[in-house]
Amino acid sequence: MLPEFSLRNKFGAAAAAVLSLWGVIEYYGFERDFHQHRDPYKIVAQFVRFEGLRAAVPGDAVLGYLSGEEPGSELAQAMFNAAQYNLAPRLLQKDKALDWTVGNFARPVDFAAVGRQYGLRVERDLGNGVILYRKEQRP
Amino acid sequence: MIAVAWALFAVLIGCGLVMRFGRGLTALEPRWAAALLVFGSGAAAGIGLTSILFFLCRMAAPGIPRLGMFLEITIFGWLVFEISRQRKTSTPDATAKALFVPWLMGAAFLAFAIVTAGMTVAWDANPQGNWDAWAIWNLRARFLVEGNLPQRAWSALLTETHPEYPLLISGAVARCWAYAGSLTEAAPIATSYLFFLSLLAMVTGGVAVYRGRTLGLLAGLALLGAPTVMHEAGFAQYADVPLACYMMGATMLILLDRPLLAGLFAGLAMWTKDDGTQFVAIFLVAIAVLRRERFAQVAMGAIPGVVVALIFKIALSPRTSMYLMGGPKAMLQRVVDGRFWQISGAFAHEIGALGFGWYHPILPLLALAIGLSFERERRRDWLFAATIPCAMLAGYFSVFLISPFPLKWHLESSLNRLLVQLWPCFVLATFVGLSRLERTVIQAPAAPVKARKKSRTS
Repeated sequence: MLPEFSLRNKFGAAAAAVLSLWGVIEYYGFERDFHQHRDPYKIVAQFVRFEGLRAAVPGDAVLGYLSGEEPGSELAQAMFNAAQYNLAPRLLQKDKALDWTVGNFARPVDFAAVGRQYGLRVERDLGNGVILYRKEQRP
Repeated sequence: MIAVAWALFAVLIGCGLVMRFGRGLTALEPRWAAALLVFGSGAAAGIGLTSILFFLCRMAAPGIPRLGMFLEITIFGWLVFEISRQRKTSTPDATAKALFVPWLMGAAFLAFAIVTAGMTVAWDANPQGNWDAWAIWNLRARFLVEGNLPQRAWSALLTETHPEYPLLISGAVARCWAYAGSLTEAAPIATSYLFFLSLLAMVTGGVAVYRGRTLGLLAGLALLGAPTVMHEAGFAQYADVPLACYMMGATMLILLDRPLLAGLFAGLAMWTKDDGTQFVAIFLVAIAVLRRERFAQVAMGAIPGVVVALIFKIALSPRTSMYLMGGPKAMLQRVVDGRFWQISGAFAHEIGALGFGWYHPILPLLALAIGLSFERERRRDWLFAATIPCAMLAGYFSVFLISPFPLKWHLESSLNRLLVQLWPCFVLATFVGLSRLERTVIQAPAAPVKARKKSRTS
């Protein structure tokens, strides 16, 4: 003898399934629209920018870090975190000039002048706004 | 592809462990649900335990990054031997009629395919995941895998990247990178997708075993129909969905009376995110109050995750919690400065924002609550399953009350993810209380022999 389910039961189960499918379609639509926000922090592009620096500095180095952006701004934060991610296992010390220091610039400035403010000289200009600075040796 | 293969190897080890120590999990009925449960719990357990093993090996022998690999292969060999010796037992399936099972299976497959397609779109656009994925979790994975300085993953110099956060996700990604010998973006993508699969498999399989096939499939569909959760699972690559997986899994496994595995999941939650510490505390209190007889086994199961997390927090991690900043007086000041209503408003807003457009993931649950109603006999289980996410929510609320960060920023940057963590637990709690949509077939009773004889003679 097979017991039957009430109409209320059937309606509840069917409605839940249909509503869930609606949610799934909403999700797909959202991802499709979101697709235009490709790599908003340009992480993939940073791999190429920092390639030269990775080759020039040993993996266990602790490096200073300078940027031309306003400290605390979202751009400055994104640039620093992206640089740290790309240069790991090297450690970066933000807004600090150490013996070896990374300059990470989003727009053209006088890199040598920025370095001089911190007692640094340009060791290598690696292109795309990436500079390797070295501390000026005091006599 | 090799990195993905190593992620799958962790799943294999986990499935082996669950089959060996899961107390007959494979013999549950229906068989497809048992298989989902073994896969789901095995994937989460395997990724978590191999991540711990990798972390410990990197600490013990930083010069041999593949030490854990050889240990894993040995463990896998032993598991294969142990499982092959086990006698196969299976409980015969009681004949039962369930509502719409083939239709719901079709709908679940369709929903799963659409969600996976949506996730591939997200991976294509942002293979590195969202901000925290590369700035915190995968950055720390890079420190764990590259060079001989894994301790840089919790260096006090990482001021922007929370060096005090636990390392399960970073360890899991670093493990795949180390064994594959490449820093491919496929490793974090595979890890986050496997946690999503694990969560889905445990919800569907667990509820199907516990409350019948129809409710199991509807639970899976209800989870897939939560767009914000799916977006976090696919696009973000954060630790919130893995944490959701461990929290929901621990609750599910207690309901299925697998306390050792439930404890293991609770411990792994603590090694996944700081929020997991709150979960372990709440889970253990709930067990002590509502399932006292299982407490010792749950506590024993939690040991691996809890011990590693405690060692990390006490001996390695650089900072203590910023929430206690300023001492009790400053904390009290923050509590009474009128932020209660601001937080309440943000909670209401974010709960509403779990949906997209006119759709909200609570709608399928409401349809079921109206159509099926709740079973009174399930009150105790329902109380257990619902208490945990409610207590977690209350805990999160309290954390915002004492938060030393700018409150608006703190709420906007984290509350939606906290709700994503808890949503699967709320789905489970709903399904635990619902009336079963499965009826055992009532066999027509055979007439007693004497009565039959009598009727013949008369």
